[in-house]
Amino acid sequence: MRAPYIKNTISGRIFDFFNVTFMVILMFIMLYPFWNQLIVSLNEGIDTARGGLYFWPRKFTLDNYKYMLSESNLGRGAAISVLRVVVGTTTCLFCSGILAYITTVRWFSGRRFIRLLYIITMYFSGGMIPFYLLIVKLRLMDTFTVYWLPGLFSAYYMLLISSYMYNLPEALAESARIDGASEIRIYLQIVAPMCLPVFAAIAVFSAVGHWNSWFDVILYNPSGKWDTLQVYLRKILLDVEQVGKLVDEQKKMEAMRKLTPVSVRAATTMIVTLPIIFTYPFFQKYFIGGITIGAVKE
Amino acid sequence: MPGIRINIRPEGEATTKSSKLNKLFKRLYREKELWFIAAFAIVWIAIFAYYPMYGIIYGFFNYVPGKKLSECEFVGLKYFIEFFKLPDVWLIIRNTLVISTLNLTIGFIAPIILALLFNELNNITFKRIVQTISYLPHFVSWVVVASIIFSMLGNEGVVNDMLIRFGFIDKPIGFLGEGKYFWGLLTAANIWKGVGWSSIIYVSAIARIDQELYQAGAVDGLGRLGMAWHITLPGIRPTILLLFILGIGGILNAGFEQQLLLGSPTTREYHEVIDTYVYRYGIQMGRYSFATAVGFMKSFIGLALVIVTNKMSKKLTDMSII
Repeated sequence: MRAPYIKNTISGRIFDFFNVTFMVILMFIMLYPFWNQLIVSLNEGIDTARGGLYFWPRKFTLDNYKYMLSESNLGRGAAISVLRVVVGTTTCLFCSGILAYITTVRWFSGRRFIRLLYIITMYFSGGMIPFYLLIVKLRLMDTFTVYWLPGLFSAYYMLLISSYMYNLPEALAESARIDGASEIRIYLQIVAPMCLPVFAAIAVFSAVGHWNSWFDVILYNPSGKWDTLQVYLRKILLDVEQVGKLVDEQKKMEAMRKLTPVSVRAATTMIVTLPIIFTYPFFQKYFIGGITIGAVKE
Repeated sequence: MPGIRINIRPEGEATTKSSKLNKLFKRLYREKELWFIAAFAIVWIAIFAYYPMYGIIYGFFNYVPGKKLSECEFVGLKYFIEFFKLPDVWLIIRNTLVISTLNLTIGFIAPIILALLFNELNNITFKRIVQTISYLPHFVSWVVVASIIFSMLGNEGVVNDMLIRFGFIDKPIGFLGEGKYFWGLLTAANIWKGVGWSSIIYVSAIARIDQELYQAGAVDGLGRLGMAWHITLPGIRPTILLLFILGIGGILNAGFEQQLLLGSPTTREYHEVIDTYVYRYGIQMGRYSFATAVGFMKSFIGLALVIVTNKMSKKLTDMSII
């Protein structure tokens, strides 16, 4: 609502009209690419190649999805992606949270040192190659561990969580301490439950990051043993072999004859994107809260 | 709220060396649980952040995988000099700076304008819907974005299809294969993906502006344009400055995944930046020492830029990040 003291002039109304029009166009630009992939994925591949497919599938089919789901690799990729999101997010939340906690205990003599130790790493790093050689040296290549262990403690998340913890009343933790509760217990039972909003924001950031990451998979999993959905999609994007494979498949099965790499790729894109599209609006208030916490750090 | 502290400090105690040590041990003992947790965090960061920093030393040796560092030949600054003698070094530096500059100008202004326009929407529900939709591309991966771009801008994609159908062109435009389109394509993709998300910080800065300023402005006869120009923009000026200064600090980070996914061998002259170069030479060709040296040079200059721009930020806005 506009405040009552702002006058509603003619030029203001003309501006409002153009502004709303602009917003409608913006929504179209943001949404249409996803809609386009959706209709391509629901249309017969051969028919799509004829062109002119803009807003609605012409020859509706689920074959593209059936083909994708019949690929055993895809199910495995999805399972690994989900596992990565779950393991990566929970371990990172727990560890970054407890790190933030110990740096906010005011009488802890090591808190400044540990904070500094982590903040330095935000501004300077060894770079890609030394890190890669480290992963090789630790024998983490081609393991699932490489997805969560290097992301266990995050300096950025530590700052976000601790700036939230600073504003919590200290007396609760202190009284528990006097009653003889252990630090881990104080963290888990008293401090962490009060930090749920910031944890929720970080869980969203972390989960989306894990779901979307693909480069570390390529870098550290050259064997393809732990390929995630994103990497699977990228392979379809780049591999010329895939076309050849599809042709073989098409020879085998009558039903597969109408598939094209474009329509199969669209189906994979949708499978990777749909979980995000359906969940992110619900987490909105948390991630906006998270960004604002970071912004008001002074 | 002040916490309850239990400090046992007997008065008149002699501060000899041994009692100081004693105190230290007592203190450490009291903090043993916290140090136990801290030990994990310290060991982890020593391995995953500080050991790779030590690994920069590979850039000064002719490192051969499998050999100990002491057995490798020390070459000093050889690789640093080699980098600047490469025939395509200026191409890489140019691409990095051009792409960053595009992101820091067009890509920087777009979310500010968007936030100002969001602010002018009267219908709260409509505003919320548009905002939510504008965040969507931020949440999908670059693989998905690349896949959509390949699909829509390819020779048989919907864009070329429409342009031909309506008679604007005779044959499809090679948006993806021709280098001259790459910078525009990349900037457009960056804005599409990030504009809504980046506007959040400005929207929340606008929300913190004191409403009384607008009332006073109305009394002084300011219209909506005048309010946006004289109240809203100055109100978010510190945020704009801070983010711009941060952007200058990160000017060597021109993006990485985008270039790898959207670039093709035919656009290499326009898409290769320092980061992708390090990846190609270091990981794909196995020239570890050379790529380490190039990467170190980049992060060293980056750090210097961050420190300088942080000083500027302190002077200009009283805000700093370090």
